Amino acid sequence: MARYILKRALILIITMWIVVTATFFLMQILPGTPYNNPKLTQSAIDQLNATYGLDKPVLVQYWDYLINLLHGDLGTSFQYQNQSVSTLIGQRLPISAQLGFQALVVGVLLGLWFGAVSARNQNKKLDGFLGVISTLGISTPSFILAIVLLFVFGYQLDWLPISGWGDSFSQTILPTLALAVTPMAITTRFVRSEMIEVLHSDYIQLARAKGIGEDQVIQKHAYRNSMIPILTLIGPLTAGLLTGSTLVENIFSIPGIGQQFVSSIPTKDYPVIMGTTIVYALMLMVMILITDILTAIVDPRVRLQ
Amino acid sequence: MQTPILEVKNLEVSFATYAGTIQAIRGVDFQLFEGETLAIVGESGSGKSVTTKTLLGLNAANATVKKGSQILLGNTNLADYKEKDWDQIRGKKIAMVFQDPMTSLDPTMTIGKQIAEPMEKHLGKKAKEAREAALALMKDVGIPDAEEHIDDYPHQWSGGMRQRAVIAIALAAEPDILIADEPTTALDVTIQAQILNILKAQQKKRKMAVIFITHDLGVVADVADRVAVMYAGKIVEKGTVNEIFYNPKHPYTWGLLSSMPTTSTALGSLHAIPGTPPDLLYPPKGDAFANRNAYALKIDHEKQPPFFQVSPTHEAATWLLDKRAPKVVPPEEIQKRQAYWQEHFVKEG
Repeated sequence: MARYILKRALILIITMWIVVTATFFLMQILPGTPYNNPKLTQSAIDQLNATYGLDKPVLVQYWDYLINLLHGDLGTSFQYQNQSVSTLIGQRLPISAQLGFQALVVGVLLGLWFGAVSARNQNKKLDGFLGVISTLGISTPSFILAIVLLFVFGYQLDWLPISGWGDSFSQTILPTLALAVTPMAITTRFVRSEMIEVLHSDYIQLARAKGIGEDQVIQKHAYRNSMIPILTLIGPLTAGLLTGSTLVENIFSIPGIGQQFVSSIPTKDYPVIMGTTIVYALMLMVMILITDILTAIVDPRVRLQ
Repeated sequence: MQTPILEVKNLEVSFATYAGTIQAIRGVDFQLFEGETLAIVGESGSGKSVTTKTLLGLNAANATVKKGSQILLGNTNLADYKEKDWDQIRGKKIAMVFQDPMTSLDPTMTIGKQIAEPMEKHLGKKAKEAREAALALMKDVGIPDAEEHIDDYPHQWSGGMRQRAVIAIALAAEPDILIADEPTTALDVTIQAQILNILKAQQKKRKMAVIFITHDLGVVADVADRVAVMYAGKIVEKGTVNEIFYNPKHPYTWGLLSSMPTTSTALGSLHAIPGTPPDLLYPPKGDAFANRNAYALKIDHEKQPPFFQVSPTHEAATWLLDKRAPKVVPPEEIQKRQAYWQEHFVKEG
């Protein structure tokens, strides 16, 4: 187990290096400069370039960045004067993490339930209804849904607050729902097809022949077995939530990392773009590692080597 | 005469498919007596597995048991059972040993727990008691070092060992009737004999009645007291094992017996039954075997033969037994085989 985690950690470091390198050089291709103010004189720009080291050759900048990164220094934001990127991310990450986590839990739990109900009622009306719901859920982008929810529950019915964060739990409900729909829909479809396959397997027939009742058959035998492939979904779902959150955070004015990420791109706030990308990549990698370990716990046939 | 513990009367099962209704079981009657082994023999698609799955209510959702069918277990007619009623029967009264041990065990549950499960449900045992009982049962079916392996998962075991576990699961809630659905087909020959011996020993010990599904007549000769030969959803001949092997009456039974491989070259080459079974979407009007039957009479193509009683325990559904039919003797290879068996095997009892 320890060896396995060590090996995975090494792979993680290599992946992170590739992400850092790719992002760094892609940013160089990005048109425009961080200096949007037309009043800035060329000499002022030169001075700023010198301060941030942007006058150096690209390869030197890259090298400096890597060295700083290894020291845990993500640099200083251009946009927010004198704020280090780590502080900025440190303030905003917990908010996004809470939102993402809530959405993942709500989405996956609902998906597990809907999928199982669908599979048990295969080709009946309820299955068809849930099929429509999940198809709609997959095909509706979260930001569209966010606006619809905002309009209906926030504005017309006036049940829930329409923006902000941190004052009350009710503020989190609409953004959580907007983000949860995609994971819910994907999980529903996946669970349904897995469950249908499992329900036709020989070991489910044997379990039924024991006379323990269909509910027990589902809970004790079918769920666990359909769960194994679903765990592999959690990595990609997390990735979807990360990108989804950038837009949803903007719509609900949530001061999360996603909102900051979006605003850092048009302002060419290079250190923030880099820092956020690294944090996103790291979160995704760790999530995948966790699901792999979970798979090994659920499925005795998988032994971590 | 003894009263049967299970009696199947006029069982008809059909499956609704996109192509139409498949009449898989077209009127099956048999009785099962306490402590005996009834073998149901027939080729793939003859309906032997569907028959036994019907006894446990385990058929696919598109199956219909025709009204008027009777599966009498004591005073109850299982043919009328709803899904929730079946849990009182499955495992407790009738249990099943499945064909493929490689896919029949839940890969995510320890074997000990899988064996304990029916005990907790039907015998009211607490988890700890059930674990003890499961351990004892594992030893009983010949799983070596059971203490060390009770918490193993199925993938850690070989096919033969897994089949022992499947047998232990079937025996767990002490059923009166055990259905063994080709329990040795997926195993290699040396393991087959061990599994058959375990089944025979447990049957004797527990005085269970066993329904043994197989297409292997060698296995039939080894385990069965009585034999029912099935073809195209019907039983065509029923009798004691000696009657079926030494005095078969139905041409299909003749075909099966002469296609049985033997170790003796003196018995000549292996025979095959020509043709294929009928399409049960459109079951034939007459005897379903008529088209493949070298001895078929004109009436075989037109009218289904009734059962003709050969002895109190032996009956066959073929027009050849009608008193107006021409006298036909079984083919030569059957006679050769019978002489060979007579010489080499003496059935005990």
